[in-house]
Amino acid sequence: MGNSSYIEIRNYRDSRIGEVSRDHFRLNNLHDEIMKQVIDLAVCRTKEKYGSPPCSFSFFVMGSAGRSEQSIWSDQDHGIIYQELTPEAQAYFLELGMEITAGLYQTGYDYCEGGVMSINPMWCKSMFEWQQQLTNWILDSSFESIRYLLIFIDGRSIYGGNENIEKLKSIVYQTVHKEHLISKVLGNTLYLKKGVNILGNLLVETHGPYAGSFNLKEAGFFPYVNAVRLLAIKANVTGTSTLSRLEQLNEAGLSSIEKDIYKTLFLRLLNYRLLYGNHTDYKSGHYLPIQILSKEQNKELKSIIKNGAAFFRLVRRLIEKDD
Amino acid sequence: MDTIFLMNSMWVMLGAVLVILMIGGFILLETGSTRMKNAGHIAGKTILTFGIGSIIFWAVGFGLIFGSGNSLIGFSDFFYSGYDIDSLSLSGAVFFLFQLAFAGISLTIAFGGFAERAKLGAYLVFAVLFSVIVYPPIAHWIWGGGWLAEHGKQDFAGSTVVHLTGAMAALAATIILKPRIGKYNKDGSANNLAGHNQVFTALSVLLLWVGWFGFNAGSTLSVDKGFFGFVALNTNLAAAAGTVAAMIISWMVLGKADVPMMLNGALAGLVAITASCAFVDTWAAVLIGFISGILVFYSIRFFEKRKIDDPIAALSVHGTAGVWGTLSNGFFATKELATVGQPGLFYGGGLHQLGVQAIGVLACGAFAFIVSFILLSIMKAIMNGLRVSEEEEIIGLDMSEHGSYGYPELMKAEQKLNA
Repeated sequence: MGNSSYIEIRNYRDSRIGEVSRDHFRLNNLHDEIMKQVIDLAVCRTKEKYGSPPCSFSFFVMGSAGRSEQSIWSDQDHGIIYQELTPEAQAYFLELGMEITAGLYQTGYDYCEGGVMSINPMWCKSMFEWQQQLTNWILDSSFESIRYLLIFIDGRSIYGGNENIEKLKSIVYQTVHKEHLISKVLGNTLYLKKGVNILGNLLVETHGPYAGSFNLKEAGFFPYVNAVRLLAIKANVTGTSTLSRLEQLNEAGLSSIEKDIYKTLFLRLLNYRLLYGNHTDYKSGHYLPIQILSKEQNKELKSIIKNGAAFFRLVRRLIEKDD
Repeated sequence: MDTIFLMNSMWVMLGAVLVILMIGGFILLETGSTRMKNAGHIAGKTILTFGIGSIIFWAVGFGLIFGSGNSLIGFSDFFYSGYDIDSLSLSGAVFFLFQLAFAGISLTIAFGGFAERAKLGAYLVFAVLFSVIVYPPIAHWIWGGGWLAEHGKQDFAGSTVVHLTGAMAALAATIILKPRIGKYNKDGSANNLAGHNQVFTALSVLLLWVGWFGFNAGSTLSVDKGFFGFVALNTNLAAAAGTVAAMIISWMVLGKADVPMMLNGALAGLVAITASCAFVDTWAAVLIGFISGILVFYSIRFFEKRKIDDPIAALSVHGTAGVWGTLSNGFFATKELATVGQPGLFYGGGLHQLGVQAIGVLACGAFAFIVSFILLSIMKAIMNGLRVSEEEEIIGLDMSEHGSYGYPELMKAEQKLNA
């Protein structure tokens, strides 16, 4: 790639996003392509300022990017794993993290409000420190540390190879099983925003700028994403997207009929967001103004939401039974 | 002196004390449902306007309501000096105080529509005007022997006289004052300007609930046969049913048991049963309260959608529930209990009483709204607006109208954070 500035990458994004904005898979490929261009440029710039990297490293994304479930607009969640534990390496990769974060922001990715970005020393560590940190999170098993673990589990390397992150994840999986922590992990995601009331109507926002819109992120995606992540941890599945995780699950977790049903529903949900979401900016992208849906679409969305909640309950029972 | 006279006086005096304590309930209700920066102002002005209302009631209000006059207005007994009243078997001064408390409550309800944006001066002037021109005529029509009393309208303790009148003045005020800054977005959607203290709001409901025993049961004006106990029982049942109904409906429709809504349900039950508490059976009290809890839920959403910004839900709690409560007599008043007017539709009275109740609601509601609207419009023109400036509204009425915050430490900390 020959992009010499983030503005150019931004222009590239803007020129391409329209043609892929109705296809979930092509859209996420474009996001990956853009993020890789940003990292290439950031690595170049850091080299110019501070010389070559002191050791090898890999860069991974988490959240919706990690799951390849980004919408038109997305925020940043990422980290760095570098090979050698030295003060120079730490300083260098934090600088690189800063450059990448700034670059991603300029190309249209909002900052992560929770600070899950490689400018944060917590998410920019040597391999050895990462192992320590993950083990500490597991042993601590507080609400906070399990939340970090869940974020990490959605991590996917997009630069520098996936060897490191796969190794770290397998440590996490092993320890979670050894310490019987899966029910604790379940406990972290039990709160579900209600999407449908007892009368069977979609529950929309009553106040604020998105009044009348449905919160797709919390009431729509969370139940599916969280349920499938739990099943993935249980079955040591390495995929990060909800669809690939479902694909990789063996029959012990879910029957193939169930898998197909939930895959279809989830894909429909992704399409509803792409086609009917309010894509003004990152925040608005989580909302769907339901008045633009036809009667049939409204009905289908309701069924996707209801099935998501039922799916989550099913997974909850599966986990609790085994524990 | 005769024992009954003394006991009646004692009982109604207790009622007056309870009703005046309801002002305390309204202080907590209104401050709890609004923001911190206006808390001191709201608490203080509530006491102040009760003071103004009291003096006006003594000077002219009582005479306009209960003085001898025609079917539209009374016109004697001004500057009441404490004498006994021939037709009453209780102390005249006690009766006076009890009635004064009611006028004070109606005025306090009206000011709910002013919350968080009206100038202090607007409160002062309207307190006088409402107490002379709006409340007395309606109270006279129904309780002072006016045309609606002759007509047989049933409003035992004032769903119409006190609550609907106050709510209609509040409606006129909210329309003229317009919504608070930040309540509505450009696209017309509403924001939730949440009240700063749900504990205050809950405590206010308890205070009002207990105070309502004075309001309703006290309105028997006598201890005869212990009938006040029955009235209090009905009152309690309706409040309970209103609470439960509002909780159920908000859970069904919104998916969560909304606390402010539940509390408004309790108050709606109380307002609704106020008209009918002495005329209906206990099961009807439960039903009346339950329906009012559901009505208040939809009413609040209705007004909000129509860009009528009613911070403490006065229009729905006192207006909508007041209308329903008054009409409910037309359905549920029993033969034995209907000492005024006729029994309701479900007790063989046909549509007659329902018609009487409806005319009463329409006449009183229209009068209170139109007169308040005209008075407030004139005030607006003369006083150079009823509303504080935008800057004053943003820093809060505690500071702009009184020079000190109700929560000084907290407000200082917040300003530091913003700076």
